[in-house]
Amino acid sequence: MAMRGLTVFIADIRNCRVRELEEKRINKEMANIRTKFKEGSLSGYDKKKYVCKLLYMYILGWDIDFGHMEAVNLISSPKYSEKQIGYLGITLLMHENSDLVRLVVNSIRKDLDDNNEIHNCLALHAIANIGGREMAESLASDVHRLLVSPNSKSFVKKKAALTMLRLFRKHPDVIPAPDWAERITNIIDDYDLGVCLSVTSLITALAQQYPEAFMMVIPKAIMRLHKIIVERDFSADYVYYKIPIPWLQVKLLRLLQYFPPTEDTNMSEMLHNVLQTIINNSQETPRNVQHNNAQNAILFEAINLAIHLDCESEIVRQATNILARFILSKETNVRYLGLETMAHLAAVTDELDEIKKHEETIILSLRDKDISVRRRGLDLLYSMCDVSNAKTIVSELIRYLHIADYALREEMVLKIAIMTEKYATEHSWYVDVILQLISSAGDHVGEEVWYRVVQIVTNHENLQEYSAKMVLHYMRSPHCHENMLKVGGYILGEYGHLIANLPGASPIEQFNTLHARFGLCSLATRALLLSTYIKFINLFPEIKGAILAVFNQYRHVLDAELQQRACEYMAIATMPTDDLLQTVCEEMPQFPERESALLSRLNEKSGQTEDKRTWNIGGKDSNDKTPANLLAAKERGENASVDDLVAGVGGVTINGDGEAGEPNGAAQAPAPAPAPAKTGLSWKDQLAPGSEKWYNHLRDGADGVLYEDSILQIGIKSEYHGHLGRLAIYFGNKTHTQLNSFAVTVDAPEGLVIASSHTLATSIGPSTQIQQLYSLECQQIVTDVPMIRISYHAGSTQSVVLRLPVLLSRFIEPIQLASADFFGRWKQIGGPPREVQEVIKAPGKIDLEKARAALVSHRLGICENVDPKPGNFVATGVLNTSMSGKVGCLLRLEPNRDTNMYRLTVRTTSDVVSKHLKEILQTALLFNPQSR
Amino acid sequence: MISAFFIYNQKGEVLISRLYRQDLKRSIADIFRIQVISNTDVRSPIITLGSTSFFHVRHENLYIVALTKWNANAALIFEFCYRFINIGRSYFGKLDEEAVKANFVLIYELLDEVLDFGYPQNSETDTLKMYITTESVKSERAMREDSAKITIQATGATSWRRSDVKYRKNEAFIDVIESVNLLLSTQGNVLRADVAGQIMMRAYLSGTPECKFGLNDKVLLEKDPSNRRKSSNTVEIDDCQFHQCVKLGKFDSDRTISFIPPDGEFELMRYRTSDNINLPFRVHPVVTEIGKSKIEYKILVKANFSSKLNANNVVLTIPTPLNTAGVTCSVSAGKAKYVPAENSIVWKIQRFQGQSEFMLTGEANLTAMTHKKAWSRPPISMDFQVLMFTSSGLLVRFLKVFEKSNYQSVKWVRYMTKAGNYQIRF
Repeated sequence: MAMRGLTVFIADIRNCRVRELEEKRINKEMANIRTKFKEGSLSGYDKKKYVCKLLYMYILGWDIDFGHMEAVNLISSPKYSEKQIGYLGITLLMHENSDLVRLVVNSIRKDLDDNNEIHNCLALHAIANIGGREMAESLASDVHRLLVSPNSKSFVKKKAALTMLRLFRKHPDVIPAPDWAERITNIIDDYDLGVCLSVTSLITALAQQYPEAFMMVIPKAIMRLHKIIVERDFSADYVYYKIPIPWLQVKLLRLLQYFPPTEDTNMSEMLHNVLQTIINNSQETPRNVQHNNAQNAILFEAINLAIHLDCESEIVRQATNILARFILSKETNVRYLGLETMAHLAAVTDELDEIKKHEETIILSLRDKDISVRRRGLDLLYSMCDVSNAKTIVSELIRYLHIADYALREEMVLKIAIMTEKYATEHSWYVDVILQLISSAGDHVGEEVWYRVVQIVTNHENLQEYSAKMVLHYMRSPHCHENMLKVGGYILGEYGHLIANLPGASPIEQFNTLHARFGLCSLATRALLLSTYIKFINLFPEIKGAILAVFNQYRHVLDAELQQRACEYMAIATMPTDDLLQTVCEEMPQFPERESALLSRLNEKSGQTEDKRTWNIGGKDSNDKTPANLLAAKERGENASVDDLVAGVGGVTINGDGEAGEPNGAAQAPAPAPAPAKTGLSWKDQLAPGSEKWYNHLRDGADGVLYEDSILQIGIKSEYHGHLGRLAIYFGNKTHTQLNSFAVTVDAPEGLVIASSHTLATSIGPSTQIQQLYSLECQQIVTDVPMIRISYHAGSTQSVVLRLPVLLSRFIEPIQLASADFFGRWKQIGGPPREVQEVIKAPGKIDLEKARAALVSHRLGICENVDPKPGNFVATGVLNTSMSGKVGCLLRLEPNRDTNMYRLTVRTTSDVVSKHLKEILQTALLFNPQSR
Repeated sequence: MISAFFIYNQKGEVLISRLYRQDLKRSIADIFRIQVISNTDVRSPIITLGSTSFFHVRHENLYIVALTKWNANAALIFEFCYRFINIGRSYFGKLDEEAVKANFVLIYELLDEVLDFGYPQNSETDTLKMYITTESVKSERAMREDSAKITIQATGATSWRRSDVKYRKNEAFIDVIESVNLLLSTQGNVLRADVAGQIMMRAYLSGTPECKFGLNDKVLLEKDPSNRRKSSNTVEIDDCQFHQCVKLGKFDSDRTISFIPPDGEFELMRYRTSDNINLPFRVHPVVTEIGKSKIEYKILVKANFSSKLNANNVVLTIPTPLNTAGVTCSVSAGKAKYVPAENSIVWKIQRFQGQSEFMLTGEANLTAMTHKKAWSRPPISMDFQVLMFTSSGLLVRFLKVFEKSNYQSVKWVRYMTKAGNYQIRF
C-alpha cells in the first residue's frame, strides 16, 4: 500500500497555509495526472497511486471530472490492493444514478462469481455503497446466490446478507423476497452466529413486508433462542460481558413480535421456557455497566415479546414486577425503558390493576429531570387511563401542564382532551376539565380541541345550560385566553338564553363580557364574535341597540371578512320583519357522530423509527391493527373484509411512513390480496411429482411408504380411535451425508388439529431414520386432507410437499345394525340433500371381495343379512368429531354383474359428509392396486 | 465613530486588537472571523451584523478591520484603513503578517496616536515619524525641542508641514502613474475601459512654498476662450480626490490646484477618466476547439503606442481548459510556458517596443471528461508597464513654486502606465 508519491502529495497539501496555495497545488497535480492518464500505458501501481490522489482531492471537496474510467479499470485488476482502490474509487466517485454504474456492473458480477472470497467481499461492499436501482435489479440475484450458497464462507454470507438488506431498504420491489424466503430463512440455522445475526437483520426487514412468506422463521428463531439461552450452546467468541451474543437475542426476540403467537404447543412451550430463563437471569443486577446494558436490552425485548404473546401470562406478571422496580431505578435509561415497556403492556392488556399499583411512581416520573422520561411517563399515563382512574390522572396532568415543557404541552393537551372525552362519567366533569384546560393552557390548545367541545355540547342537551354558565364564569376571569373566547362566543350565542335569568348573566352582561375583549383578539375570533352578536339580536331583542352600534362601527373596518359580516348582519338586523333573522339564527342542529378528530391528530404525531413499531401508544382498541394482529386475524380465517384490510394498511402507513430505509415500502406496496389467506392453498400447486401413487395406496389407511426419492424416504403409520388419532411419520436419510436445516411443517385444514408431540431434530445423520409423532383430533367435519411440507438442506435447499392420507373416513367407527334398525334410520334420513347416489362403472370385473375390503378399510361396518338381495352391501358407521358431534353414516352398495356397475347410495345425517364420503368410497372402488 | 480596530491574519487569528469605546467586547473579534473570514461567500467589504458594522480591507495577507456601532461615514472609515496601510508601509517597508508580528508595540503606539476615542487624528506619516520613532530614541533635549514644535505644528494652519525646512537644492518630483482597466468582448468591442490615475509628489522645497499645479484639464482650458483652439489635447477628468494640503475652495471656484506641500513624499491627487482612452496593447486571439481532444491557440499582440517607447514586463495569461493534459506552443518573442497550477499559458515578454507585434501559436491536448462540461472560456489577462505614456492623455502643464525667498526650484515629471484589470475575452 505504501505509495511515496501519495504521501508526499498529502504532506504538500497539508502544508498549504491558505486556500489559494492549496488550489494551486491541486491544479498542478490534476494537470500532472491528466497528462499521465492521457499518455496511457500506466502500470497498475501508477494507476492506483493516481486514483488515490484523485480520491484524496475529491474528499477535500474538489471537483473530479476525469479518472473514473481508470478507477473502473482498476476493478478488473487481479491484484487485491489495486482492486480495492478501484472499488474505493467507484464507491466514492459514483452516485447511484451515474451512467458509469453500467460499466461496473459486469466487473462486479465477475467478482461476485470469483472463487476468491475477498474479491466477493469487495464487490458486495461496492453494491451496498452504490446500491442504485439498476444495480439492484441486475445484481440482487447474485447477492442472493452468495448468501444461500453452501460454498460461501461465513464472512461472505454476513456481507451478502447486509448488502441484501441495504438493497431491500432502498428498492423493496426489486427483491423477490417471498420466493427467496425459504432459503434465506434456512440460514438462521447456520452454525456461525455472526451469519445468523446478519441474516436475522435481513429477515426482520423482509418479514415486516411479507409476514406470511416468512412464517416459517418462527420455529427456527425460537429454536435458536432456546439453543443460546437455555442450552447455552454458543461459541465463546460471541460472549459479550458474560452474555452470549446479546444483539442476536434482541433481534430474534424482536423478530418474533412481528408475527402472531405460534399455535404449535411445543414451540410456545419452548419459547415460554426461553422467556422464563431470560427473566430468571435478570433477577440480579450486574455491577458492570456493559453487562447490565446487554442484559437489560435482552430483558426488555423479552418482556415486549411476552406481552405480545399473551399479556395475561404468568411471565408478564413477573415482568410487571421487574418493571415496577425499573421505573424506580436511578438510571435514566432504565427508567425510560421501564416506562416504555409498561406503556406497551398498558396498551394491550385489559388487566390494568397491576400497573395501577404504580400510579404514583408514574405520576412522579412526569417530574423527572430528563425530558424523554417525562414523555414516556405521559405515554404510559395515557395508555393506562380508564374510567376508574381517569379523574386522578387527568387532574394530575392538568396540574403538571403548568410546569411542563413547551414542547410537550400541545401533545399533553390533546391527550387530556381525548382521555376526558373517552372516560368521562359525568358530562359536567368533562366540561369542567376542558374549560380549565383551555383557560390554563390556551396557547397549546389546538383548533380541534375546542371544535370538539362545541360538538359535544351541541349534541348533549343537558350540558348546554351548565356549560354556558361555566363559560361565562371563565370569561370573567382576568386572564381569558382567546380560545376560551371562541368557545364562549359560540356557546353563549347558541345557549345564552338558557342562563339569561340567572343573576349576573343578563343579556347585556353577557354581551359586555364578550365585547370587553373584542378589541384584543384576532380577526378570525372577531368574525366569530360578530356572528354571536347577530344571534344575540335574535335571542335578546332588548340589546339590539348596543349591538347595532358595533355592526355600524365595523362596516368601515379594513378587513374584508369583518366588513362583509358587519354589513350583512346589519342588513339582516334592520329588516322590517324578523322572519329572515329567525330563520338564519335557528338553533344549530346536532352534529352527526363522527370519530374524534383528536385521535387522528394524535396518530399523526406518533413516532417514526426505522423498524415498524409493534404496538401503538393508547388503549387496547388502538392496537388491533398492528401488523402482527392483522396477520393473526387473517390466520384465524376470520373473514376480514377488504375494508378492514385497507383500513389496516392505512394504519400501518401512518405508523411506518417515515421509515428511513424504506421510503416506498409500506406506503406503496399494494394491499395484500385478501383471497388466498391460507398458505395451504398455494401448497397444492407444489405437490411433489409422483407422490400421487404412494398417496393413493395409503388412502385406505394402510401403513407404508408415503414418499421416496434418492435422498429421502418417508414412511407413515397411523391408528385412530373415535375422533382421535395418532400418526407416526418416519424420515429416512438415504444419503451418506447429513441433511441440515431439516424442517417439517404441517398444514391442517380447519377442524382438524395436528400437534407434534415433541420437537423434530433439525438434521438427520447419514443413513439414519428419525420418527415424528403427531396426535390428531378431528374437531369438525373436514373435507380436505392435511398437507405436509418437508424442507432440508443437502447441497441446496430442497422441499417436498405431500398430502397426508388422513381422510374423513379415518374418524368413522364401524357399527353393526340389525335390519329393522337400519331401515328405520335409512328412512329417517330421507332423500337429498342428505342422500347422495352415484352409479359407478367398475374398473375391471366386479369383485365383491374387493368391494367389501374397500368398505371395511374406510372403517364402515358391513351389516350382514340386512339387504334382502344377496350381494348387495349395507354398511354403517359413526363419524366422530369433538366439536360438531357425531354423524351417523349409512350406505348401500349394489353391484350389478351384468352391466359391471355399482350403485352407491350414501345417507348420513350431514349433507356435507354424505357427499364427501361418497367421493372417498367412489375413489376407493375405482382404485385398482394392480395398475400401480 | 470607530469603536474597535483589529488586524487578522489570513487564518483569522487576531494580531492586533484595540478597543476605543466601551460599546463592544473583545469577543466581537470572533464574530468577524466566523462570519467573514471563514465564510467564502462574503465579498462585500462592509457587513452589518445586528447593530455592529464591520469594515474590512485586505492587504497582503492581512485583514484590516474597523468596527463601529454607529451610522458612521463609511468612506471615512475606509480612507482611514487605507491611510493606516500607508503609515504601516512607510514605517515597516511592507505591511504584512511578519511586519505586524515584529512591531506590535509600535503599531499599538501608532493606533493610539491616529485614533482618539475612535476619531481619526493626524495620520500624516512625516508628522508621525517625528514623535513616534521606530527604534532609535532621540536625546531628551532634542525630544523636548521637537515636541514643542509638534505642538505648534499640530495646532498651526499647516498641520502637515514644519515651517523650518531647509534644502540646499530645491527640487520637486512628480510621478503620474496610471493603471488601465479594460474588458474586451469576443468581437473586439470595448465593454469597459477606464483609467485610474495617481499623482505622487516628492517635494524637497525650503520654507513654506506655495505651489500651483496645472494639468491639461478640459474644463479648465475650455473656460479660457483663448485656449479653445488647443482643446483637442485636453483630458476630461471624471473624478478627482486631493491631498489635504490642496485648497479645495480654490479648486472649486476656478479649478486651479494650489497647495503648500508637506515635506517629502505624498499623494497629491487621484483621478479617474473613462473617455478617449489610448489602449496601449491590442490582442487578437483566435482559439478554436478541434474535436474534443484539442484546442488551438493563435494569439496576436500589438503595441499601440509610439515606437520610441518601450513596454516592460509584459505578461499574458492565457487560460486553458480544466482538462488540459499538455500544451505545446511557440512564440515570436519572449517565453511561453504552461503553468498547470493556474490552468493557463503564461507568456512573458521582457521588452516590447512600440508599434511592434508578436504572435503565439499553441495547442492544448485535452483528456476525456466523465461529465461533459462546457469550458467557460475565462478571459485572457495582461500585465505590463509603459513608461512615459499615459493612457488618458493627461499631461502636466506646469508646476509653479512661490516662496518668500524666491528661490529657483528644479521640477521633474515622470509618466507611467500600468495594467490594472486588462482582460480580453475570446
